[in-house]
Amino acid sequence: MATVNNPSRELILNRIRAGLQVPVNAPHQEEPPRPFFAPIDNPLEIFQQECKANLMELTLTSDASASAKQLTSILDTLPAGEIFVQDHAALRSLIQAAGVTREIRWSSQGGPREVSQATISLAEALVAQTGSIFVTAACGGRGVSVVAPCHIVYGKTDQLIPDLKTALGDASRNGILQNNSFACMISGSSRTADIEKILVQGAHGPIRLAVILEQA
Amino acid sequence: MSASGIKVPPAEGASAHDHPQSGNPEKQFHHDAAVKSADLVHREIIRKNMESYDVGHMKGRSRFSDWEAARQACQAIKREAINHLDKYLLQFEQNVTARGGHVFWAANSEEARKYIADLAVKHAVKTVVKSKSMVTEEIELAGALEKVGCTVWETDLGEYIVQLRHEPPYHIVTPAMHLNRTQIAELFRDKFGEPDLPEDPQKLVAAARRKLRKAFFAAEMGISGANFLVADVGAVAISTNEGNGRLTTSLPRVHVAVTGIEKVIPRLEDLATLWPVLATSGTGQPVTTYGTLVGGARRPGEADGPEEFHVVLVDNGRSSLLGHAEEREVLHCIRCGACLNICPVYRHIGGHTYGTTYPGPIGSVLTPHLRGREFEHLSYATSLCGACTTVCPVKIDLHHHLLHNRRDFMRAGHGKASERLQFRLWRAAMLNPKLYALGGWLGRKGLRAIYGIGFSGSILDPLRSWNRKRATIPVAKQSFREQWRKGLGNSK
Repeated sequence: MATVNNPSRELILNRIRAGLQVPVNAPHQEEPPRPFFAPIDNPLEIFQQECKANLMELTLTSDASASAKQLTSILDTLPAGEIFVQDHAALRSLIQAAGVTREIRWSSQGGPREVSQATISLAEALVAQTGSIFVTAACGGRGVSVVAPCHIVYGKTDQLIPDLKTALGDASRNGILQNNSFACMISGSSRTADIEKILVQGAHGPIRLAVILEQA
Repeated sequence: MSASGIKVPPAEGASAHDHPQSGNPEKQFHHDAAVKSADLVHREIIRKNMESYDVGHMKGRSRFSDWEAARQACQAIKREAINHLDKYLLQFEQNVTARGGHVFWAANSEEARKYIADLAVKHAVKTVVKSKSMVTEEIELAGALEKVGCTVWETDLGEYIVQLRHEPPYHIVTPAMHLNRTQIAELFRDKFGEPDLPEDPQKLVAAARRKLRKAFFAAEMGISGANFLVADVGAVAISTNEGNGRLTTSLPRVHVAVTGIEKVIPRLEDLATLWPVLATSGTGQPVTTYGTLVGGARRPGEADGPEEFHVVLVDNGRSSLLGHAEEREVLHCIRCGACLNICPVYRHIGGHTYGTTYPGPIGSVLTPHLRGREFEHLSYATSLCGACTTVCPVKIDLHHHLLHNRRDFMRAGHGKASERLQFRLWRAAMLNPKLYALGGWLGRKGLRAIYGIGFSGSILDPLRSWNRKRATIPVAKQSFREQWRKGLGNSK
């Protein structure tokens, strides 16, 4: 266990405990909780709808060969140069099927370089409610989803989860944060509206977030 | 040292935006409020931005089947966390340290600054990238890092813009809300030496991206804030849109997350409620683009990530609020900025006028507790309309807390003698109808006389603070009682 010299730790904890001894004036009467999101019974449809709203590029493919074809068509739109790929059997197979001739840096070689034109990864789950891609460090690391101008995610329809509550509940039960130093719920490309509230994509991270969603 | 070593001359009018570190904050506030509320360009920029926010916010709320139930759920989560703050902080600490992370408890700003500056020295840090964190503004961290030889880059676009102007953030969510594209283009042309940079937001963002990208890849230390500290998994949750928070926590060798002790929440699943509500209240989005969870440094087998992970838990007066029976709930705040956006006072005087790290209604409630009675005047920076309370996603009774602060301030004997006298007279008049009528009569006569000789708004005018900059308040011809007797009471 890491140790830090913490001279004020006990002081702060004592202050907190002393403060909490003071009873609040009017104990709040909790109302029974009510649901606040409509239930999602058609995750694929909602996911497609939310990805569109998030300005993501979502393509539904029927099989691995169609996915490889879609990957090729995305890579063809990008400038020449290295790509970074999560080192996973499914992606090695996809890359091979797509006949990628670019220089490839695999996640087993370290993080993505600044020159990467695109990154390709899998996801832990796909969340319909918010059109989100849930990734962890196991999906090629941290930089894979943020360093290059284009992030391509290869997912399957059986990874679809209806909502955030289910996704985070699963993550908690499966010890995702115990096994990974990082996780992220990604809901679109990098963006900012800091100038006159005008939306601009590609602030610091990817300008494009493309999802190849294959029928399981 | 400024970011990238760019020499940044003091921005025009910067003194009006400086935090009143010395002098009289109340006088500074009144001065700046008068200047800003008469600045029509500023008001137009804020009006446009706030109208855009209003539309997005309401659209965002419509995605919930029951917005009030969502607020109630957020309130319950934060209440549970704050009412068991010691338990959840210890659980968070245990989970972080068990995986090799470091947790430092800072009683005040100085301790937090020293810990982080010492870390920078230990790791021979030359370049620091920061993602947006209001707590680092509160503890004035950047200056401490510059003193030990670091170049500090604010990487949130809005923060970067205000850093280049030597200004504090104008707003806790959109730090450069007070500037339009023309002003930002002029700033970038000047600082970047790119005289042909157009006033196109896309081009301006691209120019900032080019500058900041170099810093991200050069930095040895990344400093982030935290929107939440998730106790049951020991992770820091950071909500961002630009991706700067992601790069800050991914590329440098050392990641330091700096946050207030009140940010802890019990469970990972609580984010399924807090993330959408925070994003909706902050910007109108369903969720922010990146809901990031960082639980430690890079683990064996991971492709990348920092070698060290530190969390600095800042108290700085927060724990003293726990002992305020009425005001403990102020610690529930999730810093969404919704109360700033709806506040008619904020919309007219702007964020810098407050002279505080946290402006708007939440800042007016919180700052006197964190920085002392010299900021008590902010309890009066309100119309008491209660709009802030109606939008607060964790249901903090903000406008009543402003009244509580006023009451406590007066009870502690800090009020002005003139104000005490006025209230004594008012009380006496309210208890004596004849005295009240006499006061009204004298007031009407006196005001008519002053207006009659053209002294409206002058030093002789008791309504000077209103009349000197606005159309004169008309004086009623008859008292309310006279009007009532003549039939006002019977009118429908």
